[in-house]
Amino acid sequence: MRTTIARRHLLRSAGALGLALAGPRLALAEAKTLVAATFPGTWSEADRNVILPAFKQKTGAVATQSIILGGDQVSRLAAAKGNQPPFDVAFFDSPQVIDAVRDGLIVEYPVAKSPNFKELLPSAQDKWGPKITMQVIGIGYNPNKITTPPMSWDDLLDPKYKGRVGLTALNSQLGIAFLVEVNRLKGGTDDNFDPAFKFLAQLLPNVGAIAANLGAYATLWQQEQVDIAPYNFNFVQTLKAKDVPVELSIPSSGAVGWSTSLHLVTNAAEPELAVQYIDLHLDASIQDQLMKPPYDAIPTNAHVKLEGAITKSLVKSQDDLAKIRTIDWEKINPQRSALIDRFNREIKT
Amino acid sequence: MGAPDSKLVLPLAALFIAFFVAPLFVLLMLSLHDEVAMTSWTLGNYISFFTDRFSYSILIDTLLLGAKATLVCFIFGFPVAWLAARASARWQSILLFLVILPILTSVVVRTFSWIVILGRYGVLNQIMLALGLSREPLRLLYTEVGVVMVLAQVQMPLMVLPILSVLAKMDPNLPDASRALGAGEWRTLWKITLPLSIPGIVAGCILTYAASVTAFVTQSLIGGARLIYMPLDIYQQAVGANNWPYAAALSIIFMVSVMAVVAVLNAIGRKSETHGLG
Repeated sequence: MRTTIARRHLLRSAGALGLALAGPRLALAEAKTLVAATFPGTWSEADRNVILPAFKQKTGAVATQSIILGGDQVSRLAAAKGNQPPFDVAFFDSPQVIDAVRDGLIVEYPVAKSPNFKELLPSAQDKWGPKITMQVIGIGYNPNKITTPPMSWDDLLDPKYKGRVGLTALNSQLGIAFLVEVNRLKGGTDDNFDPAFKFLAQLLPNVGAIAANLGAYATLWQQEQVDIAPYNFNFVQTLKAKDVPVELSIPSSGAVGWSTSLHLVTNAAEPELAVQYIDLHLDASIQDQLMKPPYDAIPTNAHVKLEGAITKSLVKSQDDLAKIRTIDWEKINPQRSALIDRFNREIKT
Repeated sequence: MGAPDSKLVLPLAALFIAFFVAPLFVLLMLSLHDEVAMTSWTLGNYISFFTDRFSYSILIDTLLLGAKATLVCFIFGFPVAWLAARASARWQSILLFLVILPILTSVVVRTFSWIVILGRYGVLNQIMLALGLSREPLRLLYTEVGVVMVLAQVQMPLMVLPILSVLAKMDPNLPDASRALGAGEWRTLWKITLPLSIPGIVAGCILTYAASVTAFVTQSLIGGARLIYMPLDIYQQAVGANNWPYAAALSIIFMVSVMAVVAVLNAIGRKSETHGLG
């Protein structure tokens, strides 16, 4: 076997690579660039297709997406503490907000500079950053296999679903929220998770797969590896849009959810642009647009009239939204490590 | 090595120290504390790892997974390398291309295509059902068998290329002499070809092993959350549980363990070079 690479060829390739790497920097020099974190999946698409064009039109500046999960954002901000942060706008689920505030990773949101802030539902007006949507969990099921929508979490225990139940590891909010809700229904408290783990032990014979992350979880549905599993409204909508047979049923014990919010990062390079970028997410017409497929984001602006998939499978009005049960993350966060550990021990084959 | 030569290594050495040795040192320091601020020293992370059956069983599972994947890789990889070494130049390049093909695609793409192959209604199960080899779809995804299969395929080039390079350099007169002296093909393979290719096999095994035990994407996507291996454990401790010092300790333990396995393989390789395999 002989491999000879011409030196000139190699130099040319290396040069091209160098240019490509320098590219973003060169662009930076031309105009102000905001770096905004966003979640993988629906939100990165919503931000790219709806928010970024609007942002460019409004400010003339360019925004770059940094697509990472909330937990990873906290890690990266913590790692860069004291230096310039890797992005200006953080995109968190409720539990990360607590960690970020405690570690001084985000600053109080400058409400006065954000005209749309006061249009939000009172519950969405958080001083650390506006809540832009809600994530709601229920029971996902394959309507081709299960014709009557499951109405109780106990349905997962039904022996007829042996090997057909899916779960996700506790490193996602979905996993934790499911555990917390089952725990509450089985008589546990935020200080005592024994009832939840007892339920889990009963459930394991039915469990066909436990995904290590949400990407793999979606694949389980696409490959019809599972028929019934705790799932999240927005993920179901995304899969449905791709013709995957999946529906969401809200059990009679009620919907459980958490909010998603945007935050100004401590020492942000472009704080003014960051607030303008965040404020766009609060705008009634933009939220109205994001409520429609393929995004189906639950709005938080009080002036947006609910319609579409949200009213079909979740709630009828803004009042109902306020009734969705939330989780006491102040209590849960410190236990996260212990819960993950206990969960891993229980499920290990 | 004279002084002018050794200066050539300086840029690489600087890069290596700044971006590998220094972070590794920080990692080691972090693992000896119980919080990120690193105020008080402790061996607690290491003690809790080695006194907890669940924790060290993850390490053992991971090291065994690497051994299984390497073995399967060798069983399928050696014949490929052997064929390629004997093939005409044209066939050799076709075979080589097929072997290298997997590394030309992203590991995520490769792994997701394996999900499609191994899934309940995947290609493999449909073939099994159509041929009547099984009445129920087999469970391959989220099992260790599945993980080993995928790792063996994905790491195949790392096994085949070193073996091939040794086989290609082997003096063709040696097998000829063996045959001339009356040995059959199998005996020649066993007594001449295999022992002479030990350095390539050892190099291939080291590469395959190190790549298999650390293959986070493949392990977690094909294995799921119930088969916990060290990379997933480290990720969950660092990002999910925010327990960086413990994750750092896990990383150090894992790295030292893999290095120990590699050292053993290396020693076998050196011994075979001086004494032959017996």
